Amino acid sequence: MNVVKNKWKDRAVFLSFVAPVIILILITAEIPFLMSLYYSFTKWNGISKNITFIGFENFIELFTQDKDALKSFLFTIQFSIVNIIGTNVLALILAVFLTKKFKLNNMLRAAFFVPYIVSLVIIGFIWKFIFSSAFTSMFNATHWDFFNWSWLGTPNLAFVSVILVSIWQSVGFYMMIYITGLQAIPNDLNEAAGIDGANAFQRFFKITLPLLIPSVTVALFMSISNSLKIFDIIFTLTFGGPGKSTTSTTMDIYNEAFVNNRFGYATAKSLVFVIIILIITFIQVKFFKSKEVEA
Amino acid sequence: MTLADKRNRLLIQVVLVLFALAFLYPFFLVIINTFKAYAEIVTDVVSFPKQLVFSNYTQVWNSMNYPKLFANTFVLTLASVVGIVLFGSMAGYKLSRTKTKTSAFLFFLAIAPMMLPFQSFMVTLTKLAKDLHLINHLSGLTMIYWGLGCPMAVFLIHGFVKSIPMELEECAYLDGCSPYRLFFSIILPVMMPVISTVIILNVMWIWNDFLLPLIMLNGQEATLQLAAYKFFGQYKSEWNLALTAVVLVTLPPILFFLFMQRYIIEGMVSGAVKG
Repeated sequence: MNVVKNKWKDRAVFLSFVAPVIILILITAEIPFLMSLYYSFTKWNGISKNITFIGFENFIELFTQDKDALKSFLFTIQFSIVNIIGTNVLALILAVFLTKKFKLNNMLRAAFFVPYIVSLVIIGFIWKFIFSSAFTSMFNATHWDFFNWSWLGTPNLAFVSVILVSIWQSVGFYMMIYITGLQAIPNDLNEAAGIDGANAFQRFFKITLPLLIPSVTVALFMSISNSLKIFDIIFTLTFGGPGKSTTSTTMDIYNEAFVNNRFGYATAKSLVFVIIILIITFIQVKFFKSKEVEA
Repeated sequence: MTLADKRNRLLIQVVLVLFALAFLYPFFLVIINTFKAYAEIVTDVVSFPKQLVFSNYTQVWNSMNYPKLFANTFVLTLASVVGIVLFGSMAGYKLSRTKTKTSAFLFFLAIAPMMLPFQSFMVTLTKLAKDLHLINHLSGLTMIYWGLGCPMAVFLIHGFVKSIPMELEECAYLDGCSPYRLFFSIILPVMMPVISTVIILNVMWIWNDFLLPLIMLNGQEATLQLAAYKFFGQYKSEWNLALTAVVLVTLPPILFFLFMQRYIIEGMVSGAVKG
């Protein structure tokens, strides 16, 4: 009798600890996600009660007619590739130098980290100022031609600008991931190789880098998913322009839903995009997990 | 170490310091220009202000209604983070300690959203939030942050609890301690390292978040980020005012960062590594 009573009491306690989270998460993420699955098969403007089921029409339109979607997806992929490589290479270089014994290390680490704690909207805005007003002033002072280029006004340069700003903003964070990884690598391996006559480059590529793969996996995972989801920086820096040359997929989805008021179609787009993100990150994690070695 | 080695090291250090200065130069430009009058900023952005002007700050402070927005953003961030920590740690702890199939399933349910990009359900979340009357006010937005912040919190705390020895709880249990007292007075203090990670990750996210308030508050300028965005639109060419808004909005997180630098970097990185 007592045991049965206790069991129910345990269950009640368990529920009181767990139920709030489950309810909150269901409401804010999982139910909306399931709703997306349904709405992607409908025509709906987001406001009216009028929701029409239209089968696969949204998906057919997306794959056969929607040039903006394709264009923004290509931009997102190009941006992501350059951004991921640029950020991680620079972050790794900084991390390697900033794990050497050096008095100013902590200050330098903090310096590179600072942009990461500023909101992306503000970052976009600061750089808008740099690319327009500050560059004009610098051109007047130096007469160097590249200060006079239209950094946000021509498609190719706008692409470069978005990349530069994005790397500048996040490199400190990835640098810290690599620093944490580098500090965990025992020194004796490197020293032994040094005594055996391996030079600094050989030591880095043959010893340090293979042992650092777990950090690389994490950093790549984060930078892939963050790059594919780029939104805020573009929103303030270029607003997708000039033309639609820097419109990312997330911004395209945002426009479709909140500017064009095509909610049904926007959910269809976002679902396809999610599936692509999941496939890419899955492949990446699998690939790098298989490369991990132990010291 | 040879002389050449020493010289190389010095060279690397000098290069790093110069690079860091160039890296931070945009912030420097922003700051010096908030002390210039409009006429001066138009003609020269790069040099120091000829004479320090403070009127930008008073003007932006008043026209943005900074104290109210600061209070809004502060309360929103605080209430959201407190909720995330409370609900997340209770559930993370209990799910970690209960070894049943139901518990494993609920854990999966709780962390599954970590795999879902926000954009995939943002549109329908807006609709659901509207139906539940959670939009257009800060308390509704707070509840949405609870739900969106909990998966990561549950995940981190669930992992951490595994490293807490069971003996603590067993002793307390034998002494007749209730499960709630046990949790709040014994477990919670032990979990402080992971909770500080959760707090830092969420403070940074919620304070700086733009997209969610943008769609949930329907164009009202209720948080600093939203107001700043609106402000930039209004004062597009008056850089002296717009940049002052940048400084006022960014200063709180920067100060928070400077005072808690070590914890923040460790917290954010360990959150990422475990996530």
